[in-house]
Amino acid sequence: MELLGKLNSPVMYLICGGIILLVAIICVIFGVRAYKAGKEMGIDTGKMKRVITASATFSVLPGVGILLGVIALSGSLGTPWPWLRLSVIGALHYETQVAEAAGEAVGLKTLSASEMTPEAFTTIALLMCFCIIWGMVLMIFNGKSYITRLMSPSAKKKGESAKEGEQAAENKAKKPSFADTAMTAMFIGLVSAYIASYIGSIVSKDGAFTFGGSPLSLAVAVVSALAMGLFLFVKEKAKADWIDSFSVAGSMLIAMAAAIFMGKVM
Amino acid sequence: MDNEKYIKGTHRLGRIFTCIVLVLLLLAPFIIGLYLKAMPNMPAVIKGFLSVGIVYLVSGIVEYLIYVPMLGAGGSYLAFITGNLINMKIPCAINARDIVGVKSGTPENEIVATLSIATSSLVTILVLALGVLLMIPLQPVLQSPALQPAFENVVPALFGAMAYKYYRQSKLVSLLVLTLMTLLFCFVPSLIGSTSMMVIPSGALAIALSYVAFKKKMKAAKEAE
Repeated sequence: MELLGKLNSPVMYLICGGIILLVAIICVIFGVRAYKAGKEMGIDTGKMKRVITASATFSVLPGVGILLGVIALSGSLGTPWPWLRLSVIGALHYETQVAEAAGEAVGLKTLSASEMTPEAFTTIALLMCFCIIWGMVLMIFNGKSYITRLMSPSAKKKGESAKEGEQAAENKAKKPSFADTAMTAMFIGLVSAYIASYIGSIVSKDGAFTFGGSPLSLAVAVVSALAMGLFLFVKEKAKADWIDSFSVAGSMLIAMAAAIFMGKVM
Repeated sequence: MDNEKYIKGTHRLGRIFTCIVLVLLLLAPFIIGLYLKAMPNMPAVIKGFLSVGIVYLVSGIVEYLIYVPMLGAGGSYLAFITGNLINMKIPCAINARDIVGVKSGTPENEIVATLSIATSSLVTILVLALGVLLMIPLQPVLQSPALQPAFENVVPALFGAMAYKYYRQSKLVSLLVLTLMTLLFCFVPSLIGSTSMMVIPSGALAIALSYVAFKKKMKAAKEAE
């Protein structure tokens, strides 16, 4: 608990807030540059203002969904670090999985404040940052040549103009290919390993088939799956795509709340 | 400013800013380590990377190849710095493009995508900052022992939600992989402590089974034609 106090200290807010502020400044610079360039290129300013308004309103609900993710992680990692991670190249499902794997690698049984040590925290923090840098790395070393190639006249001759490249990418995203199937399979493998470990720990925690483990983790996972099912059911029935912004974080929070009550009886 | 000059400047700025953010992000755990007087355990970082990091290396490359042509230069640099691509930045940029009726591959699209992602990122940062500010007075409540079972179960809560999302996309493969992995953990309980490493065989099995199912489906579709 003393560590959690340090993880929520002003120093942590300063470190994480400083990086977030820099990212906000970068967004402003890019936005202002694009607006000015658009004006000089003769793009209707009314159109650009509509883009800004539409994007701002579009982002509020998913932003609240991401905030729920910060709340979900704050109990074990403090508030500033999840705030940074979910503001800069973050995604809730990614952060939690990587934090769990790093915690396991340093010997934590669960990702919780009661077990957290300073070394475990810095290890988790580094792994969370390191595992997700690949988009940035590729943009630094290959972004210019990739985009230039997509827009080059020779590419156009080969039928790879930016427009066609983009259409190909969109078609690729729509058309089922093994790449899509493999990505889904990878996540099925990942989720299955963890769910199976919860069942395994109920059955064989104190030795093969001794049935001495707590069923709480599995029960929480089941509640979360049911909540997710409900979210997706409502989304599909009411054609409310905005529910997607809350489905993962919402399911997690419902299951975490259920854990408080189930923990008393299990 | 002509489009070519603008794109050139965007790449220069994009690379500089991406490098700065990347370095700061990787340095942050060490700076925090100085404050907490405990540096990251590098063997554990490598072990963790080999278990789950590989999955995100592959998905990072796939995301890069697919989304950069959609977002253009400025949009891509910003999207990869700020993250939340699939659940927020891509739909937001496409929505903005559709609203103003910009054609893809045009200089207009480059401007619209950049404006859209910059705005979306700023709004997210603002919403999170306000939310975090409001959470500060709630810290004692969030740290209370009564709520600890909730925070101790954040990972099962995540995997339950994800299981529903992914299992329904490939029910048979999911059932087979889950059954085999459960049997493995029941018969070899010592593996329970190394679950993240078991993601590798579990993922490989899921991919192999999916490949067989995919081939079968393609063959059936071909025969139907």
